[in-house]
Amino acid sequence: MNPERMASLVARWVRFYTRDLPAPIAERRIDEIDADLHDHIAHDRAAGTSERRIALAVASRMVRGLAADAAWHRRQPKAAARRPLHRSAVRVAVGVAVVLAIPLVGMLLSDGVAWSVADFVAAGVLLATIGVVLELVVRKAGNLLLALVVGGLGVTAAVLGELDDAPGLVLLGLLLIVSACALGVRTARRA
Amino acid sequence: MPRRKPGTLVPLEVEILEVAVSMRRAGHATFHGFGLARRMREQSGSRSLTAHGTLYKALGRLEEFGLLTSRWEDAAAATEGRPRRRLYALTGEGARTAERVSTAAAPRPRVASEPA
Repeated sequence: MNPERMASLVARWVRFYTRDLPAPIAERRIDEIDADLHDHIAHDRAAGTSERRIALAVASRMVRGLAADAAWHRRQPKAAARRPLHRSAVRVAVGVAVVLAIPLVGMLLSDGVAWSVADFVAAGVLLATIGVVLELVVRKAGNLLLALVVGGLGVTAAVLGELDDAPGLVLLGLLLIVSACALGVRTARRA
Repeated sequence: MPRRKPGTLVPLEVEILEVAVSMRRAGHATFHGFGLARRMREQSGSRSLTAHGTLYKALGRLEEFGLLTSRWEDAAAATEGRPRRRLYALTGEGARTAERVSTAAAPRPRVASEPA
């Protein structure tokens, strides 16, 4: 392998481990190592070093620095934590629409399913709450108070569903309780 | 692996500061990553250059500590058909720390202040 191909491999590695970092941090690291690789190869060629030895030296510098790359990466703020809010909103909205489509289709195909507009609204609100809580869990955001409120909402929905003989409401209540537990665990781990 | 105490320098960081001081004495107020790695290899008599990850992680730490500053070189300087370099320079605190640690016996000297 010639030095340029080895440098290309190193550059790909740098782009890989910086892929989830904020652009300014990633670009600085990428550009800095690109310049280093260029200077390294140019210097060694000028010194009369063989192509094979240059390629090996470049590879050696990459391999010996892997642990430091990983440690450096862990200390950097992650771009994923700053994902645009609108993407989360779209995900939640699509999720709610997909789930609500199930009873809607059921009503069209069978007389056994009879949801009123109020049922759809209530289910939509509960599903959206579950979606938002799950987004918070993924983003490692939210707090214990929110987890308690959502948990309380889940218990209320499950109890009301049980009293009203509405298994769908009971299921949503249970899902709310589960997502509240996930949020609570994430919050406790973060503290 | 044991974690370092806050505000301490590891031997590589001390070495970088010492080399930066020697380069400044030689008339090079700024230095770039590969130039530094090359100078460190010459001074230590090592056969290999410091690894990319190790070198740039240490430079980043020293910058966080306020011992180095950095900037991209002017676009005009990169007209030789090569990527632009990140240029580092010792700060006043960095120079003082380098002088202090190079005369101290302790292998892991403490830095004067925590990074902001």
